[in-house]
Amino acid sequence: MIRARHQLYIWLCLAAVLIAVIAAAPILPLDDVRAMDIPHRFAGPSAAHWMGLDNYGRDVFARLVWGGRASLAVAFGSAVLAGIAGTILGLLGGYFRGVVEVVTVRVSEVILFLPPLLLALLVITILGAGVSTLILAITILYIPNYTRVVYAATLQTASQDFVVAQEAMGTHPLTTLWRTILPNVMPPLLVQFSLTVAGAILLESGLSFLGLGVVPPTPSWGLMIRSARSALDVAPMLLVWPSVALAGTVLLLNVICDRLQDVLSPRTAAVGGAAWLRRGARGAARRRASMMPAGKVPAGKLVPEELTGDPARDLGGDLLAVEELSVAITATGRPLTQGISLRVAPGETLALVGESGSGKTLTGLASTGLLPNGLGVAEGRALFQTPGGVTDLAALDEDGMRPLRGAQISMVFQDAAAALNPVHRVGDQLAEVIAAHRPMSRPRIEAEVVELLRKVGIPDPERRARSYPFELSGGQRQRAMIAMAVANAPRLLIADEPTTALDPTIQAQILQLLEFLKQENPDMGVIFVTHNLALVHEIADTVCVMYAGEVVEQGPVAEVFAAPRHPYTAALLASVPEAGQGRLQAIPGTVPQPGRMPEGCRFAPRCDFAAEACRAPQALIEIEGGAGPDGRPRRTRCIRWREAT
Amino acid sequence: MARYIGQRVLVALVLIWLVSTLVFMVLHLVPGDPAELLLASGNTAPDPQAVAQLRTEMGLDRPLMVQYASYLAGIVHGDFGVSLRDGTPVAQQLMLRLPRTLELVVAATLIASVLGIPLGTLAAIRGGGLADRLVSLLASLALSTPVFVVGTGLILLFAQKLGWISAGGYVPFAQDPLRHLALLLMPAGTIALSLWAIVVRMTRASVLEVLERDFVRTARAKGLGRRRILRRHVVRNAMVPVITVIGLQMGTLLGSTVLIEYVFNWPGLSGYLVSAVEARDYPEVVGIVLTISIVFVLINLIVDIAYAVLDPRVKLAA
Ligand code: SF4
Repeated sequence: MIRARHQLYIWLCLAAVLIAVIAAAPILPLDDVRAMDIPHRFAGPSAAHWMGLDNYGRDVFARLVWGGRASLAVAFGSAVLAGIAGTILGLLGGYFRGVVEVVTVRVSEVILFLPPLLLALLVITILGAGVSTLILAITILYIPNYTRVVYAATLQTASQDFVVAQEAMGTHPLTTLWRTILPNVMPPLLVQFSLTVAGAILLESGLSFLGLGVVPPTPSWGLMIRSARSALDVAPMLLVWPSVALAGTVLLLNVICDRLQDVLSPRTAAVGGAAWLRRGARGAARRRASMMPAGKVPAGKLVPEELTGDPARDLGGDLLAVEELSVAITATGRPLTQGISLRVAPGETLALVGESGSGKTLTGLASTGLLPNGLGVAEGRALFQTPGGVTDLAALDEDGMRPLRGAQISMVFQDAAAALNPVHRVGDQLAEVIAAHRPMSRPRIEAEVVELLRKVGIPDPERRARSYPFELSGGQRQRAMIAMAVANAPRLLIADEPTTALDPTIQAQILQLLEFLKQENPDMGVIFVTHNLALVHEIADTVCVMYAGEVVEQGPVAEVFAAPRHPYTAALLASVPEAGQGRLQAIPGTVPQPGRMPEGCRFAPRCDFAAEACRAPQALIEIEGGAGPDGRPRRTRCIRWREAT
Repeated sequence: MARYIGQRVLVALVLIWLVSTLVFMVLHLVPGDPAELLLASGNTAPDPQAVAQLRTEMGLDRPLMVQYASYLAGIVHGDFGVSLRDGTPVAQQLMLRLPRTLELVVAATLIASVLGIPLGTLAAIRGGGLADRLVSLLASLALSTPVFVVGTGLILLFAQKLGWISAGGYVPFAQDPLRHLALLLMPAGTIALSLWAIVVRMTRASVLEVLERDFVRTARAKGLGRRRILRRHVVRNAMVPVITVIGLQMGTLLGSTVLIEYVFNWPGLSGYLVSAVEARDYPEVVGIVLTISIVFVLINLIVDIAYAVLDPRVKLAA
């Protein structure tokens, strides 16, 4: 932002110097632009004539400076005139609306449907060539651009309270509008002005080049290029000088315009593209390496190439073992989640619960290598049991991850409307994931697509396969999304708030569908990310409660619900209304921002039980209970859990 | 789809009517009388008798509404009157030269798209890298250099210095296809340059935007290959705004043909306009300006349809 501003000043200074030189032409010690020296025509550069002489033996440098005068006079003249006329039209149209709007704004927009140069030529046909005709023609061309800008701003401002209030106090509305709108439209007007000047210079030079603009012997860049054409073989530099002057001036104006836009509306465009697209990028692995504190290389880390895995290791029957996983902002190293550990067994459903910003979604994305740009895995592992062995998902690069995604690990996203590609048919998007992992003939894939859509409960699947996502209802879109996720019978399904965007009846149907799919594929592990505790009870076996980037409590659902061992979990449970469908919002206070985490227990500022002991960082401690039917331990990150719960 | 196309055709017809009316207004609402202006040379007042005669000849003495009606009727029938210079029907020249101008426009658009879309995508993927900077710099230069400067510069380089190709001209395709295409290359390439710059910039911005969209993440989550994601999910979606911008640029492109046909001696419609304006041959100027404007509207119609093909949601909004 600051840099853009400084750059803008530099370019503006340059433009000021250029304009000053051109404006000062009459008082500069330049040769007479009309003085001919036929015997010395086409003479090369000399001390007296820096750029030599032209086809009539006139000084090229002097003509260049004076030619700039013609260009800039026409350009600035028409830009100012068009600005004034366009502003007035836009103001009137936006304020009075109705018929006035039609006459001012709409009529001026018709001009935009004539190719610009043609309209200018039409005007020249009627009025004859010359500087004043040029200014008139270019003014007309650029009026609609200004009108649009001012019209839009007027519409916005006219409805605002203070305009209405001042009107009530007797100030003439147009006076008010003029005063309030002008500051509002100044930025876009400035941009429009520099665009107009650049465009006008191009038009003027083009018309002069055609011999329909500035009338000789008045010098103009366009005319100089025109006459250089006939002497290309004798004196090519006669073409080069005015061309450079012309292109340089327009370039300068364009750069100013770009910088102006940067300063006025800073773009947040992600520069750097997407790292995953670059072949050979090590993805998570590389980001991870650069962030790893020295000497803390995890033991027994598996290299990505070993997709077949290390048969010697196994996860004790579990499917996924996330160990001490931390996600951080790559640039600053600031952690967003810290030391997340969790396990999922085949057939188990783990609910990852927490408020937004707790890091639950990041944990899910980190396990599939789909973290947004700028985030990376800083520490820890996500060990995954493939049929061939164990592999560390957090260390895999894009190419290593690809065969797993959609085949062994699938994701269902929250907003199916955004997660589906709007321009492809649902069936094609579904066929894609099948073809990527199980190449088959087209008809067989198509048959499978229809079968899948039927399985997830989409009525009339043959027809729906040919529909575009926008033609489906919200619930159907999420069903299609789920169909994609289970198309290749994955071992692990990560569902990130799959029902949040849906209304309650549809929510229940989607949960039933997930339940049904689990019965179909009993070995599939599921991670269900949600902020809705009521759902957890319905579908999950184990639960992992997250707060401010940390796991605060985990254990079997029944036990955690019956006897929470962390004040945060307790507060969450208390805030769920009896009927279910409650949202987590009843706890006073807010989640601390990353970088402003409390030294000790992160929940302390909102905790009723906070005491001296809570000032120290809290560890996740194993407590009695747990080890239930599936042998999951219970843990809490509260030193005072005995007193507090 | 049929309904959508019908609707766009209707809009196009209304636009053609509006543009025709605008041209009529420019002719008749400016101070002074076309006949008077035509006969005026310098500051000497024209002979009133001659003016009156020309006025009758051109039908300017009829009531304005009658003139307007016969003007519109003429357009519908493709009758643009006779040239003041040689008395031949204007429509005859239009039919002969229009295809040549269209050929330039189509060739330029193809060149700009074929070179612009892949380079813009590359620049986006290598965001901030050398390729990105190089492409951006080239685009800035291309946008700042007027077409006639580029055209004249190319003639200087390739025709004068290197002698690879003649400085301009035209040979009908039927007569010598190879030479025809060789002569087409320079003018079409020149016109394509600024459109190329705009396509590159728009593609780059659009691809960067699409890369951030959720469905790209979905495509990755599905385990699709890089190329497939790029082609089917990123570039395909990024094309929608690029097509719109190409449509918006057609006005400028058609304007460029005026300069380029002049520079390269291409006997199209636009270059002919220059001599018509020089001669202040009214019916010719009006006929050419209207024809090119109608072409402009029709190109936008095609763009609208292409838009609907690329983005199925558009049809629904119709
Ligand atoms: S450690 Fe202390 S502050 Fe934190 S939750 Fe337990 S009692 Fe509350």
